[in-house]
Amino acid sequence: MDTDLLSKILFATIGTMGFAVGSNIRGWKLLFTSLGGAIGWGSYLLVLQQTHALLLSIFIGALLVSLYSEILGRIFRVPITVFVVCGIIPLVPGSVIYYAMSQYVQGNFMKAMRLMMQALLIAGTISISIAVVSTFANIFQDLKRRL
Amino acid sequence: MEKKIGLHKMAELATETAQIVLQSGGETHRVENIIHKVCKQFGYDNVESYVTPTGIFLSVWDDQDHVATSIKRINSRSTDLNKIASISKLCDDIKSRNLSPDQYSQEMHVLALKTVYPLPVQVLFGGISASFYALLFGGSWHDFGIAFFIGILIVLFNRLLYKAHFNIFLINALCGGLAVFIARFAGTYINGLQTDKIVIGTIMLLVPGLAIVNAIRDTMAGDLVSGTARLVEAFFIAIAIAAGTGSMLKLWYLFY
Repeated sequence: MDTDLLSKILFATIGTMGFAVGSNIRGWKLLFTSLGGAIGWGSYLLVLQQTHALLLSIFIGALLVSLYSEILGRIFRVPITVFVVCGIIPLVPGSVIYYAMSQYVQGNFMKAMRLMMQALLIAGTISISIAVVSTFANIFQDLKRRL
Repeated sequence: MEKKIGLHKMAELATETAQIVLQSGGETHRVENIIHKVCKQFGYDNVESYVTPTGIFLSVWDDQDHVATSIKRINSRSTDLNKIASISKLCDDIKSRNLSPDQYSQEMHVLALKTVYPLPVQVLFGGISASFYALLFGGSWHDFGIAFFIGILIVLFNRLLYKAHFNIFLINALCGGLAVFIARFAGTYINGLQTDKIVIGTIMLLVPGLAIVNAIRDTMAGDLVSGTARLVEAFFIAIAIAAGTGSMLKLWYLFY
């Protein structure tokens, strides 16, 4: 584990904590929410390092964040959105959109289009991973109720 | 406890609860669940509700087939995840704590009045968030300082525009534009500043995380109307950020 990775994870944690305060999360939940940001960004970086596949890394990062939130939500009986919303923030393609606009303004239309497409794909991937987890969680809960 | 609440009072109480959760940014699926839960706990099993991000419609029937209907239009929405959590918990606990309708109503109003963090704290953490995201996306420690400053300004500006009843599109576009302008402005005076990283860090404060998550969760729960509405909201916010930063960049290149 190199220090660069660790420091990046730390930055993601503190950044997520700041965002969580803006969403009015309080007390011990703040700690767990920031940890969610760390899990998402950490796993994203690790997978990206190993495979160099952008969308796969995003998918796994968001998947772990939503899984983590789902588990915490069930344990503490807190709405799952509380943890997911802030946890995925570092993965949301705000930077890609900005770079796309920056390229477009400089006249590189093709580059801008490619980046926009990438932003759309990243957003779609995040959506799919949240959808997968919430669907399976619902099925699991249904089974538990029936048994 | 078995003092039963009147039919119309019941509809009113359920609507009020739903309104608080919806205005704090709860999923419509959760809001519908809460309506049903509250009504069932107070002895009205027959409830139908239809909730969208902009309105609440509900009908309650009693045993003699009398019906009370309530409609509430929701105009403003904000993000207050703590309120969603505390109201959900209160609704879950009605049975176990054996709350009477009056007690419940009282506690709900106390929770509804609970305010957000004081402005200085919000502003401070806005700065922290922006600056650490700037570092995360490859900024240096110089960028960190500028991003902290811009993050503070963005949160203040955001609140100001929200109070002035600007719409959500304009707020995000103007905040994006402001971030680009200050970053570029600082870049002309300080050498070696990576303005891109600073802007990216501050933009993360505006990103529509809640709208994206709600859109997906609503759609997956079968709430197609709400899911689509939230998706459009998220999309428009993203477009607004792109438009704001893009036009400010263009202006900067034109005049500088």
